[in-house]
Amino acid sequence: MLDILYIEDNSDEADVFKRVVSRLPKPPTYTVLSNGSEALNYLLQKGIYEGQPAPMPRFVLIDLNLPGHSGFEVIQQVRGASLTRYLPLVVYSSSDNPKDIRRAYDLGANAYLIKPGSYHEVSTIMRGAIEFWLAQSQYMP
Amino acid sequence: MQPVLELTNCEREPIQWPGFIQSHGYLLVLDPITFTVWQASENTDLLTGLSIEDRIGKSVDNISIGDLSGSILQELLKVAMRNSTPEAFNPYSVTINGQLWYVLLHKHDGALIVELEPKEATRGGLSLSMTTLLTQTMSDVQRSTTLTELMEKTVQKVKAVTGFDRVMIYRFGEDWNGEVIAEAREEELEPFLGLFYPASDIPKQARELYKINLVRNIVDVNEPRVPIYPINYATYNRPLDLTHTGLRAVSPIHIEYLQNMGVRSSMSISLMYRGELWGLISCHHYSGPRFIDYATRQSVKLVSQILSTALEIRQNDEDAAFSRQLHDHEQTLYQQMLTDWDIVQGLTKHPINALDQNTATGMALLFEGALHTLGDTPTENDIMSLIEWLKATTSEVVFQTNQLPNLYTPAELFREKAAGVLMLVLSREMNEYLLWFKPEQIHSVSWGGNPEKPVEVSNGGEVRLSPRKSFEKWSQLVRNKAVPWQQVEVATALKLREDLLQLVARKANQIRVLNEQLRLAYEELEAFSYTVSHDLRAPLSSIKSYSEIYLEDYGLQMDDEAKAIFGKVIKATDRMSMLIRNVMQYSLMSRTDLAPDLLAMKTLLHQVREEVLVSENESRVTVSIGDTPDLHGDQTMVTQVFTNLLANAIKYSRHLDRATITVQGRETEQEIIYAVTDQGIGIDMKQAGKVFELFQRLDTAAKYEGNGVGLAIVKRIMNRHRGKVWFESLPHQFTTFYVSFPK
Repeated sequence: MLDILYIEDNSDEADVFKRVVSRLPKPPTYTVLSNGSEALNYLLQKGIYEGQPAPMPRFVLIDLNLPGHSGFEVIQQVRGASLTRYLPLVVYSSSDNPKDIRRAYDLGANAYLIKPGSYHEVSTIMRGAIEFWLAQSQYMP
Repeated sequence: MQPVLELTNCEREPIQWPGFIQSHGYLLVLDPITFTVWQASENTDLLTGLSIEDRIGKSVDNISIGDLSGSILQELLKVAMRNSTPEAFNPYSVTINGQLWYVLLHKHDGALIVELEPKEATRGGLSLSMTTLLTQTMSDVQRSTTLTELMEKTVQKVKAVTGFDRVMIYRFGEDWNGEVIAEAREEELEPFLGLFYPASDIPKQARELYKINLVRNIVDVNEPRVPIYPINYATYNRPLDLTHTGLRAVSPIHIEYLQNMGVRSSMSISLMYRGELWGLISCHHYSGPRFIDYATRQSVKLVSQILSTALEIRQNDEDAAFSRQLHDHEQTLYQQMLTDWDIVQGLTKHPINALDQNTATGMALLFEGALHTLGDTPTENDIMSLIEWLKATTSEVVFQTNQLPNLYTPAELFREKAAGVLMLVLSREMNEYLLWFKPEQIHSVSWGGNPEKPVEVSNGGEVRLSPRKSFEKWSQLVRNKAVPWQQVEVATALKLREDLLQLVARKANQIRVLNEQLRLAYEELEAFSYTVSHDLRAPLSSIKSYSEIYLEDYGLQMDDEAKAIFGKVIKATDRMSMLIRNVMQYSLMSRTDLAPDLLAMKTLLHQVREEVLVSENESRVTVSIGDTPDLHGDQTMVTQVFTNLLANAIKYSRHLDRATITVQGRETEQEIIYAVTDQGIGIDMKQAGKVFELFQRLDTAAKYEGNGVGLAIVKRIMNRHRGKVWFESLPHQFTTFYVSFPK
């Protein structure tokens, strides 16, 4: 069982995320993937994951600006596959451009979080997100 | 203005086949091979002693003319006919009954035509030798500096040579009306100089004849003309064509015309210009008959031909010089437009300008929505109305008239500026036109008699022309007309149009290239913005995050100074982060498409108030919102405008214990105006120019946080809404920013 799949190419961001998560009273399990292509293989069980499926996360945290397949493409393909049609997808991006936000929702994102650019604020926002998606939100049965 | 009737019985009259000759000479019409007499003028019976019927059909050697035996005449003819052009040896001198006569031969219309006329040195004979005449004429041509001077000398010379009472040069103008442009006359005669004669005075077929037979002498209008017997000649079922004869009798209508004028005898010599009849040297004699013998006629003809040539050369020179000048000026204008890379400037802002393209005295250029004028022109409103009319009137690229008021009545009010108009259509789609104007040339035309008079209606109701009875001077004022545009002027204008359009096309291409470059630059800016937003912000958040982590992990071991330094690092990253965010917004404001909507301003302003007050001590700052008229705008952008204005108002009131900020909207006929007022530090009007500039901050604002982008964004957004932004301020008393949105 996996709680969070975090797709992030910036190792500093990943670093801060790990620290925030590790300091939680009940730390969730997570996997960090650094590019869109690998994330798609993981979620759609392709490439190296073909035949030996990795555990599905309870929600996915996606950065938009990724090398290879962008965050938008990941959202689009994940939403298109029957296996992951209802998988909660939370965008986590530094872009506050309304166009990006609208596009992400159009493609099927469940939420859009703007990276605050500070450890303390990341901490606050992550606690909230994890609390919501792991503890409060009901899943598609 | 002039009789336009062309249905004249004069015009219908077969004047080259009159069937009559004048009475001072004799005519024989012979078979050119057998010399059998086909026709003879009836007066030949006086010389031959034979009745007219007896002469016809006889060979010429059987007829003696006075004491000139037929065989001598036949010998002469034989010799002459060895050459196919017997007229080449004219005149042949003979003596008949002790008098000298000229025999004049020519072949025409299938017949050998023999004319006998007196060789008369006494009556109006040649007083100068041919050589002297030629030398004098040539030197006159060379010495005369103007055409007028040359004309003067010519009429004087012709008068001296021929002894006529009056010698005039009559020049054909538009529509073949003629004007007397030079005159030599006996002193007691009334001057005709400057008088006009209607075209009907010299009808079309007469003018055609004048082009072929250059000299005509009517010896005595009172002498009855002599019929030719028989009417038709040889086997031809028609009278003989007398075009080339000197003895031909003229139309009785013309005789009557001359008699009405009091003329007893006349002579006219054609002046040709480029194959067309340019004018006539017209001679009148009043005191009696006047016969000009063949030799003298030939001399006068030679003078007229020299004059014609001089006319042609001079006119050609003048035309060529004018044409060359226009062409040079056109080239200059083109160069100017190229060099300036500006059509309006190239055409109007140099010593050589669009007025040097022709004889216009005013010019108007409607180009890129603006009207530019040079010289003497109608008012701007008149020009614009005229252009509207011209657009509807013509579908051509060029339009010209020299009588605008006669076509377009409103032009009567400005005919002293624009009775003549030459217009170029540059582009109908773009509404671009170039016009030249010429003033009305009011001139008085003095007709030799009422020009309307020759039209008479006969009893049968048929309209006919008859020779005018009255030759009293009859004046008429010609209104609404300018000097006509010359062909070369129109041609040069069209050339200018070509050059101009080519330049416009080149400029358009250049703009397309620039647009493409601009598009690429925008794309680069887009990529740059993304770099700024992501690639620059990511390391910045790393700096801040790691600083915070370091403080969290090692804060307890650090002294206060070390902690303060970390605090400054974190603050610096915040400032930089804000700056990046604002610059992004600024560039977004110009690139994002406007999505205008009717905005509910009350809701919008309350939301903005809530947002800007979030971080403020609410009891300290009051934002009161007054009237909130709705307006059309882009929701995101308008929100940004008020957010920035309110944030500024709050920021610069921060030093006050209690700050009140008011937002007040009002509506005028054309726009919605909002005012945002605070009692903060205010703006020194000396620095007013800097307020809306990007990255500019005022001295007084230095101690407040900020980066000089906020008001630049406001200005940009207002520009994109075609609105305005301005302010009023008294330092430390009040500052009001106004934004107005067009309705």
